[in-house]
Amino acid sequence: MTDLVSSEVTTAAGSGKRFQARSNRRYLFLGVIGVILTASILVDMTTGPGNLTVDTVIETILDSQAHGVPMEVIVWDIRLPIALMAILIGAMLGAAGAQMQTILNNPLADPFTLGISSAASFGAAVAIVFKINLIPIAGPFLVTANAFVLALSTSFVIYAFTFLRGVTSETMVLVGIALMFTFAALLSLLEYRATQVQLSQIVFWMMGSLSRASWTKIGACLAILAVTMPLFVWRMWSLTALRMGDDKAASLGVNVKRIRVEMLIAISLLASTAVAFVGTVAFVGLVGPHIARMVVGEDQRFFLPFSMLASALIMSVTSIVSKTITPGIIYPIGIITSLIGIPFFVSLILATRRANWR
Amino acid sequence: MVHVRSPFLRVQTIAWQTACIISLGLTLGVAAVAIAEPIEVTDIAGRTVTVEKDVQRVILGEGRMMYSVAVLDREEPFKRIVGWKDDLIQYDPDAFRKFRDAFPGRTDKITNYGSPYSGEFSVESAITQEADLVILDYGNLFNAEESGVLERLDKAGIPAVFIDFRERPLQNTVPSLLLLGKVFDREAEAEEFIDFYMQQMRVVTNRVKDIPTEERPLVFIENAAGWFEEGDCCNTFGGANLGKMVDEAGGANWGTKKFPGYRGEASFEAIIADDPDVIIGTGANWSEARPEVKAVLLGYEAEPEAVQTRLGALADRKGFSSMRAVETKRFYSIYHQFYNSPYHFVALQTFAKWFHPDLFEDVDAAANFKELHDRFLPIEFSGVFWASLE
Repeated sequence: MTDLVSSEVTTAAGSGKRFQARSNRRYLFLGVIGVILTASILVDMTTGPGNLTVDTVIETILDSQAHGVPMEVIVWDIRLPIALMAILIGAMLGAAGAQMQTILNNPLADPFTLGISSAASFGAAVAIVFKINLIPIAGPFLVTANAFVLALSTSFVIYAFTFLRGVTSETMVLVGIALMFTFAALLSLLEYRATQVQLSQIVFWMMGSLSRASWTKIGACLAILAVTMPLFVWRMWSLTALRMGDDKAASLGVNVKRIRVEMLIAISLLASTAVAFVGTVAFVGLVGPHIARMVVGEDQRFFLPFSMLASALIMSVTSIVSKTITPGIIYPIGIITSLIGIPFFVSLILATRRANWR
Repeated sequence: MVHVRSPFLRVQTIAWQTACIISLGLTLGVAAVAIAEPIEVTDIAGRTVTVEKDVQRVILGEGRMMYSVAVLDREEPFKRIVGWKDDLIQYDPDAFRKFRDAFPGRTDKITNYGSPYSGEFSVESAITQEADLVILDYGNLFNAEESGVLERLDKAGIPAVFIDFRERPLQNTVPSLLLLGKVFDREAEAEEFIDFYMQQMRVVTNRVKDIPTEERPLVFIENAAGWFEEGDCCNTFGGANLGKMVDEAGGANWGTKKFPGYRGEASFEAIIADDPDVIIGTGANWSEARPEVKAVLLGYEAEPEAVQTRLGALADRKGFSSMRAVETKRFYSIYHQFYNSPYHFVALQTFAKWFHPDLFEDVDAAANFKELHDRFLPIEFSGVFWASLE
């Protein structure tokens, strides 16, 4: 297996040692970003209009009754779910983005490339304007459920198309773009019929928000990650091989079509859940994997976890920024992910001399 | 409709307040003291909510709720307000400055909760501010439920009530005012204003009911006329809000028969073809939030000449100048914020006078609006709130 990965190392002599050294360095990078992420979560937990001290927050986490009901609500029902939701959504989008770029062999792909976000927005809008349930479910989850159902069905439509035209990345991207425009048009049609308040609700839903976080949703995110992660780990080496091109991967014994379909299903689950829970969060699923590629390269053992950690970090910082700009006002996260993500991303591109996408 | 009960009586707070009040009473040597009592109220969303009577720390889900709060707490309208959304500051700066100058220093202390349209609401700020009531706009009910805001407020023991002056103003204005009167312990003031409001509304509605259909002029309402720089027409109201007000004032609202919704985008071609008898644009001082607007900047600081200039510019837009309403000078502008305020009887009377000048010759909407200020409001009447093309 080492031969396969070391193909980027041209000579055989000493390649084993160099491979080992590089692996160690990459483990170090993973450790560093893990530490930064932990720090970010702590900052997130202690930030808010409530001006709670670190002690108060920690004591309330350990004993919810320590400082009375108001503190319990602030820590356990507002801050903790939001902080955890931020990193989980980040990790899900990062994983989905990383695998999407891998299977489509396209640096511009992100979890929403296949029209998943516009489908989800349309589903949410249907719920907001007509209050129609696409699956029988209680009121508070109406918008979330509709968004999820439409996002997931979009993936199945793409899946169905790939059976007709073959599982190539071109087919998937083109059908995805077609679906994206279809749902964007349907969304506009709905917006046209909406009242002023509904219209603004749709717009703000699409801008994304972490304040809809709840423990139920965190549980759902964990469940989705628990289902998809083993698949990614199991297919790790095949995915690494896939980045050398379909033909090469096939010659190495990888069933290219099968892996693409498997990944499509996993990505759909991750992205649909994420977008249904927090709205359209642009950019995270695109940037996280690119940062990972610049820092640790294509080897899936490092690429996937680093993508997830980097995206989780972006979301966590976004969560902090969204509530600190003006105390008492929560800014939509979709705006912030782009505004803080882009300068960071561009600076990374400028700082890296070699080409990151081959 | 979802029914939510707020079971928290906030015993601790009551005990604390009682202790404070008693000690204060002892110090001053006053024997009789009012103690906060919990009351059960039904809000516009049909929810039954337990609220402490005479709330003291209130967060307004829309800044424009001040139009009603000012009627109840005339002497000190800001005394209970600890937080609000910024729509009054953004979209009616004239009224905001009027209130700010009448009560210097009071508005600076109010926490800004952002845009009322965002659907976001920082529960954490509400808890930190120790709010004892959050008043939300009925239009945000779905969002407040979906985002878990109501659930969290309930858990934190902060009651929330919904009021409405926008979605169904003719039905919900009186119950909304009664509700506010109850929770503010200002029932006498609320009833006094409601009496006045009912009289003012009846002046119009009792007379128009006999006007035959063919004598009702076709009226087109242009919502926020001149909002877009290019002068794009034609956002209009359906059979709701100001559209409904047109029908109640003895007109035939163009949008009522065209679409079921609250508001919609009309085809300019259809307006030209139907050539309405009357065109009314809405306007307010949006020039600060949106400097490029071409709207008529109506409000407390408006000047008649500037209003006429802007109204003339709207009438001169391509396609408008040859319409019947412009040629016969039945081209008007009205203060936009009447659409979200218990003062909408002024719009109703003004509309009625425009549609049926002879029938309503004796009604003086301006005098009635001034009476509203003199009798019920802590601010003086000034400015321009409607205009007809000269």
